[in-house]
Amino acid sequence: MGGVVTGGPAMMRGSVFSTILGYLRDVLWGIRSVWGSCLTAIPYLFGSGELSKEVTEQYPDPISSKIADDLPPRSRGFLVNDIERCTGCKECERQCPVQCICVEAEPATDDTKIWVSVFDIDFSKCVFCGICAEVCQPASLKHTKNFEGAVYELPELVASFGRGWVTPEQRLKWAKLRQQIEDDRVIL
Amino acid sequence: MNAQAMWLNPWISGFSFAESVPQWLLTACGLVLIYCLVIVPSGAVMGYLERKLSADFQARVGPNRAGPAGVLQPVADLLKLLQKQASRDWNWREAIWLLVHTMALYSTVAVIPLGSLLLLVDTDMSAFLPFWSALVLALGTMFLGLSQGSVPGWFGGIRVAAQALAGAFPALIALLCAGIRAGGFRWSEIAAAQSSSPLLWTAAANPFQFIAFFVFVISGLVLLGIPPMDAAFSAPDIHGGVSSHLSGRKLTVFRLGRFYGFLLWSVIAVVLFLGGWELPFGLSTELRNADSPRLLQIFELCWLLSKTFLLVLVVTWIAKVNPRSRVDQVTDFAWRVLSPFSLVALIGASLVAGWGAL
Repeated sequence: MGGVVTGGPAMMRGSVFSTILGYLRDVLWGIRSVWGSCLTAIPYLFGSGELSKEVTEQYPDPISSKIADDLPPRSRGFLVNDIERCTGCKECERQCPVQCICVEAEPATDDTKIWVSVFDIDFSKCVFCGICAEVCQPASLKHTKNFEGAVYELPELVASFGRGWVTPEQRLKWAKLRQQIEDDRVIL
Repeated sequence: MNAQAMWLNPWISGFSFAESVPQWLLTACGLVLIYCLVIVPSGAVMGYLERKLSADFQARVGPNRAGPAGVLQPVADLLKLLQKQASRDWNWREAIWLLVHTMALYSTVAVIPLGSLLLLVDTDMSAFLPFWSALVLALGTMFLGLSQGSVPGWFGGIRVAAQALAGAFPALIALLCAGIRAGGFRWSEIAAAQSSSPLLWTAAANPFQFIAFFVFVISGLVLLGIPPMDAAFSAPDIHGGVSSHLSGRKLTVFRLGRFYGFLLWSVIAVVLFLGGWELPFGLSTELRNADSPRLLQIFELCWLLSKTFLLVLVVTWIAKVNPRSRVDQVTDFAWRVLSPFSLVALIGASLVAGWGAL
């Protein structure tokens, strides 16, 4: 009967007739689903059911999986951080009630710029409260509408958006670059 | 002699005291007898069938230790629950609500139709009286949950209330459909409008009555919180809801109350839509002509109860192979699917009845 209740915003779209038709199709789908599972169970009642066969429906069943358009406009799915806009101010890390965000920032090419080397969000801890996205000054941290994130290992739930630690070679290269710019300015 | 005590007549007319005892005593004895001889054993049979059936569906054995094939399991369960030690924290609110709603619930024993000669209260509004029992059960269960002061109790109680409100409307409309065909809400009128042949049952009279029958049964499940619509009593999320705090004798009383609600609802559904107690092959008329009221009472009761058990088994079958619905989906389903369909059935049934009257 799961199909019957998926209405909401989707039902507003389209004409009256298509809405009624969709409603009746949902009801029919529900009846057929219940009837089908009842039929599946009959052999087991008489002890002749196949015990090794899988008869349950798998998760993204035909109609219950919602598409992004069916979700409410402000629904909070997984977080995504636009690292180009992120200033590494760590406000999200401070405000997170479950401490699931880990930010490490270091000086970039010169001391006035910030290099966000680590930006990890542990979705196994995240409660999707949305506070981090709210306090984000440059609005780089946002909720997506994606919510299907089943994985086999817990560490797979950690999303990393950071640029990675700056290596000594990279720092050296930057220093050289800066030196070169300085030299150019002197020549000019 | 009033209607409640009338059914005792064939059994006690041989005794000389029958005329001298007061009516209220006879009535009370009659109700207690029906409760002890019909309702409690039916609860045991339903419980046993349900457990065996769900065991079969899940490729288990089910109860098999107490008696042959475990038929004595309900008795064993009852004895075990009765000798359990009561929980230490005595809650007078809980006790009072359990007592009050159980008493109000069993007051409806007086209105169950169990046969043409076991018709206890046969008034113009008889068919509405089971709603009294269903709503009393819901109200009592809700207050029971709220008075427990626990999270499962609160959520269970609120869910019970939500489901009862959602299920009552389509159930009432479906009942109107049956009443429209029979021309009244008297048990005897509703039974007289049908016959023993399945083609002459109300459910088979026209497609609208068929829809009404379905709506009536399903909204009964919603109203009473019977699987698979038992989100109010679900174990995984709220530890069985209201029953999570009950144990021992209180749990026995509570479970029997829920069983009674379901039994009453199924009996009503059979009487309204599935031909009632009329015996096949004209046996009812023959027994009535042969003037053997005792046989008629017993046969009609058994026939009605076997139909009822069949309906219960079908519901159990559906409940065991489908997942439990979430509570918001149940109420949504009742308001958005059952209610419109019951209204369509009502309009259709009225049109058919009007067409017949022309």
